[in-house]
Amino acid sequence: MNLGKLVWRNLLRRKGRFAFTLGGVAVGMAAFVSLLTIGQGLDREIKKQAQGLGANLVVTPKGWCAYEQISVLTGEQLPEAIPMSEIDKIMAVPGVKTAVPYLNEKTAFRNRPVPVIGILPEEMRALQKWQIAAGRYFKAADEPAVVVGAAIAKQFQLKPGDSFTVRGHPLPIIGVLREAGNKDDVATFMPLPVVQKLYEVEGKVSFAAVQVDDLQQVDAVSLRIQEKANVAVVTDKQLLSSILSIVGMVSGAMQAVAAVGVLAAAFGIVNTLLTAVYERRREIGIMQAVGSTRRTLFAAFLLESGLYGLLGGILGVLVGMLGAYVLGPYLTDNAFTASLRQSPVPSLDGATLLLTFGLSIGLALAAGLYPAWRATKLSPVEAMRYV
Amino acid sequence: MSETVIRVANVSKVYGTGEAAATALSEISLDVERGSWVAVMGPSGHGKSTLLQIMGGLDRPTRGQVYLHGIELTTLGSAQLAQTRARAIGFVFQSFNLLPHLTALENIQLALWFGGKGDEKGHAQAMALLDSVGLAEKAHLCPGALSGGQQQRVAVARALANDPDILLMDEPTGNLDSAAEAELLALLGRLHEQGRTIVMVTHNPAVAGRARRVVRVRDGRIEGDRVNGS
Ligand SMILES: Nc1ncnc2c1ncn2[C@@H]1O[C@H](COP(=O)(O)OP(=O)(O)OP(=O)(O)O)[C@@H](O)[C@H]1O
Ligand SMILES: [Mg+2]
Repeated sequence: MNLGKLVWRNLLRRKGRFAFTLGGVAVGMAAFVSLLTIGQGLDREIKKQAQGLGANLVVTPKGWCAYEQISVLTGEQLPEAIPMSEIDKIMAVPGVKTAVPYLNEKTAFRNRPVPVIGILPEEMRALQKWQIAAGRYFKAADEPAVVVGAAIAKQFQLKPGDSFTVRGHPLPIIGVLREAGNKDDVATFMPLPVVQKLYEVEGKVSFAAVQVDDLQQVDAVSLRIQEKANVAVVTDKQLLSSILSIVGMVSGAMQAVAAVGVLAAAFGIVNTLLTAVYERRREIGIMQAVGSTRRTLFAAFLLESGLYGLLGGILGVLVGMLGAYVLGPYLTDNAFTASLRQSPVPSLDGATLLLTFGLSIGLALAAGLYPAWRATKLSPVEAMRYV
Repeated sequence: MSETVIRVANVSKVYGTGEAAATALSEISLDVERGSWVAVMGPSGHGKSTLLQIMGGLDRPTRGQVYLHGIELTTLGSAQLAQTRARAIGFVFQSFNLLPHLTALENIQLALWFGGKGDEKGHAQAMALLDSVGLAEKAHLCPGALSGGQQQRVAVARALANDPDILLMDEPTGNLDSAAEAELLALLGRLHEQGRTIVMVTHNPAVAGRARRVVRVRDGRIEGDRVNGS
């Protein structure tokens, strides 16, 4: 006989109560884990997209807030606001290698929203190192044609020669991009002048990605741009951190709600164990008569509650990750978090896993303290006298 | 020369305080010799169980001392007292005194564990103990699947687990039919012949008749103390 065996037997005595209490812990932990997983996936995805941007500086209209900055990364529709003339001024600023403008618009294709992005074909190809998987690339900077991202091509089963309708105008699809693993996969591209004309925003762009000659000079170039042109400039790092901080706040708030669920489950453990102490008070007396110390009794009840935390934690992690996998795409299907759609495999890193089990087991142990203490306060004689 | 295993010296026990105070034992003194078989008799509510619990260190006296082999139990801390109960004393109660979710074997292993013998040694020894009370083939049954008499024999085996100095039994035959009672008494007789020291509370004169000495308790005092057959 040993403590583990004794506790295990006690745990499984009331199967229904065990299952419901464990279920409470598991549900709480699952909510916590799935939100954590989704938050982390979002974080990872945003970082990846920021790299995919290939820019040192992002030029935006003045007064953009973080919500609009996120769209730079996700390819969502943007209020078009910088005149092309400003972009020309920026290109002339010393230290600027390239300034590539983007015009982010949106269309509906077969009743699904699809980003339409106006670009300068040659500059973009150089900046993004795009590869063509099928068909060909734009031949002229104003060719009225469409190149589609790999995921879009797959989703709608599009191939070169098919037609893509934007605002009632059918355009030929000439090429499909090779999969890049970022937002370019879920967009369609057209030359800038074509998009400007279709959307009647001639001479305007949404934002521009700037590469500098010398990375050391990024801040100086940024200042010079703001002197010369009527725009706002953020570095890619600033952009990333401001987006991450907002996403972090949102997922932090969601996790706090989930943590309340875990706390409620801990009260469930207290309740179950107090009932168990009451039910077993005669046995507790017998154990003391046979020679159990109070410390052993205390340890037995504490271990029993700790097991709820461990088992509930394991179940919760499994269910939570499954939940993130299944529900993640729906929960994040909005402009704010759209990029997560591309990251279907949620995963928890070791540190997070440790934190999760720590929370689950720690709370469960804390929940066991009071019932365990109550058990040791039972006098053996009293315990046996009243059946 | 007889050796005293347990000495109860001027023990009083008062339950509660103030108005509600109830005196269960008053100034009781009793010596139990090694190898003796003592029956404690007396009317209901007159302090027999209280006396047994105080002798076994399960409860503390309000006044007076209890010595086990000269060691004063009343001075021990709760952990030391628990160790003493595990190693030096074997309790058997009237009913419901096995843990219901453990098998007969495990109930005995539990006592061995409290006495400091873990799984490995415990298993073989617990089997031997069950065998000695004639229940080896019931080792893996839970108490619910055993008859009252079988449960009591398991309880006796458990009480013997750590080779205690004394067995303390509170109405061990109280819930048994006459056949089971006879079987248990035969077992106790064998233990007595092997030199075990036994103190048992009983209402039944026939059961008390099997003991070598009968102590009568009334109003928390010793009213009579005689050796059977004399
Ligand atoms: N925890 C307690 N609190 C208050 N009074 C108690 C307590 N335990 C026992 N008593 C009282 O002490 C007295 C002695 O009780 P005890 O159980 O020792 O009697 P007993 O001789 O064993 O009786 P029985 O033959 O019915 O088992 C009784 O009056 C009982 O009501
Ligand atoms: Mg009694």
